[in-house]
Amino acid sequence: MARTENDIAIVGFSQSPMVRRSQKTETEMMLPVVQSAIASVGLTKNDIGFTVSGSCDYLSGQAFSFVSNVDAYGAWPPINESHVEMDGAWALYEAFVRLLQGDIDTAVAAGVGKNSNSDPSTLFTIEMDPYYLTPIGADPWSMAALQARAYLDSGKATERDFAEVVARNRANAKSNPHAQLSGDFDIDELLAADYVRNPLRRHDLPPTTDGCAAIVLARGKKAYDLCERPAWITGIDHRIEAHLPTMRADITKSVSTALAAQGAGVGNAPIDVAEIYAPFSFQELIIREALGLDASTEINPSGGALAANPVMVSGLIRMGEAATQIMKNGKRRTLAHATSGPCLQQNLVCVLEGDE
Amino acid sequence: MPDVVHESVFNLQFPFTRTLGSTLSTFFSALAQGQIIGVRTGGRVIAPPLEYDPDTAADSGTDYVKVGPKGTVSAWTWVPEPTHLHTIKNPFAFAFITLDGADTAMIHLVDAGSESAMKPGMRVEATFKPVDERVGRIDDILAFVPAADPAPSAGAGESWDAPAEPEISTQDSYCDLVYVDNTSASTLLWMESLLAGKLVGQKCPVCSRTFVGPRGMCCVDAIELDETNVVDVPDRGVITNFTVITPVQYPGQLETEPFARCSILLDGTDAVMAQQSILDIPADQVRVGMHVAAVWVPEAERDVSEIGNRGWGSGGDCISGWRHTGQPDEPEENYLERMM
Repeated sequence: MARTENDIAIVGFSQSPMVRRSQKTETEMMLPVVQSAIASVGLTKNDIGFTVSGSCDYLSGQAFSFVSNVDAYGAWPPINESHVEMDGAWALYEAFVRLLQGDIDTAVAAGVGKNSNSDPSTLFTIEMDPYYLTPIGADPWSMAALQARAYLDSGKATERDFAEVVARNRANAKSNPHAQLSGDFDIDELLAADYVRNPLRRHDLPPTTDGCAAIVLARGKKAYDLCERPAWITGIDHRIEAHLPTMRADITKSVSTALAAQGAGVGNAPIDVAEIYAPFSFQELIIREALGLDASTEINPSGGALAANPVMVSGLIRMGEAATQIMKNGKRRTLAHATSGPCLQQNLVCVLEGDE
Repeated sequence: MPDVVHESVFNLQFPFTRTLGSTLSTFFSALAQGQIIGVRTGGRVIAPPLEYDPDTAADSGTDYVKVGPKGTVSAWTWVPEPTHLHTIKNPFAFAFITLDGADTAMIHLVDAGSESAMKPGMRVEATFKPVDERVGRIDDILAFVPAADPAPSAGAGESWDAPAEPEISTQDSYCDLVYVDNTSASTLLWMESLLAGKLVGQKCPVCSRTFVGPRGMCCVDAIELDETNVVDVPDRGVITNFTVITPVQYPGQLETEPFARCSILLDGTDAVMAQQSILDIPADQVRVGMHVAAVWVPEAERDVSEIGNRGWGSGGDCISGWRHTGQPDEPEENYLERMM
């Protein structure tokens, strides 16, 4: 299909090493990643029409850290800049919408997370319902475990299926130079481990990761100027469910993912590769079902969030990895998924296509 | 010389008060009396209630219904090592509990003694804090415990006659988070220079701007700077801008009288140190154009433990402030076009 000036593509992607503990501040983590993404398409900072980042002050524990992070863009002369207190995948969504206005032809979306300053397993208790959940210390591990238990009780999977998701992702991560955790794991050994939150074991939980990623977007002809094989965004949609997981009709399904997938046109043609942001192992199974993917789709060649989970970045990395499959590996049609909130509350689906 | 701090622990604590709105005020007022209620909306009973129907976003209305105190567990998980955030300290379960009379589940603790006691379908019963300890918060329910008698709760499903003006309409919350920040390389350079009684910056090789203290980058040219870009800068300068703050007595504010915070352009550089305090002069006598010099704390007493990555150019407990040198002021108009 011929591309028009209203079509928008991912043309550049850069990510930091994904590590348990970076010695840098968020801003210091961001600068080389943002600038290398821009340099990778032959541009400089002053060529970019719009910049937007995703981060959360509560992770690094620094008020207005997102303002300091603007320094990573070299924001003089002044730039057009925005920020979302969300994963960088939602920053990319804003950049996409901004580009649709048609007056600029490049944008940068970044995500940064210095997760190691805090303990995400307790920090995200304050993300829960402030009246009914935060006061009883409803931590994110426990919330995920309740969803996992409901999923097991639905009969759709076993704990062995969870462990297989982990083993496959971490084996895939062996070929990802940015991964924090990778290797070959024996399913029976994984299943012999103690529960952290029954029915979830340590390996079912995401690692704590510091990291950053940045994506360059371009509109219309500009995309071909900057990239030999742009990854065109042919569909992008995100949906939200009730905040309290118990108010959702069935938390063993992801209705919001299914709706977003429909909106993004996932089912219109086969998907070669899907990068799914499932922080907890079993959630990959829920998302796969909601996306309607069959066995022909390769899942998470990067290793996904079980190999590295910089919160505020993981979703954007999925987009960069899915785009790289088109830009560098010649794939035809790929998918990136991002999630946010307790028990897969919010889900974003992005379909990317390369030219025939 | 004391060691620089490579990791700093930061405890973020703040109290706040939430308003509850009519539905949650009604719920928490009933809870403080030992009664759990739900609201009938969209043909089902939601408990705990929300002010809107999550399926339709319609107003949930005021058709309140008594639910519990007994209920049935569906999903559960075990917390073998409770943290400071959890309201009971022995191992317990979180569970989805559908209270008698309700159609949706509530998430709460089950204090069952051991993991092996947890079963899907088990009957549990709410235990409340003593009346005089209840504040109208969800942890007024201490936990659910296995029900002695699995029979249905008496009165569940009956209407709850809510008072027109609920007794409780706000809720006190407390945020308590611990951060362990590691000191970045550029901040370490600054700490070491302060302990040695001198000021340093990093000079950008592209635009020649000097940043005091080091921040590891030029934020104009977006390039990384390191120890090879470090330059010494003078500890004397001119006030280019200031503000006088009348202190409000929030927790942590030690000032009681109006005080000035100044931007100081260091001599012979384009580097500004912001938010600096001026010694020995009343706030209303601080002027743009004044020459000032840093007053260093005696070497043995210098301390950088309060310096972190959270603020560039803070003198920590190494510079006690800046003092007027007595030199004639520079003309104020020299500094008109500066923001800092």
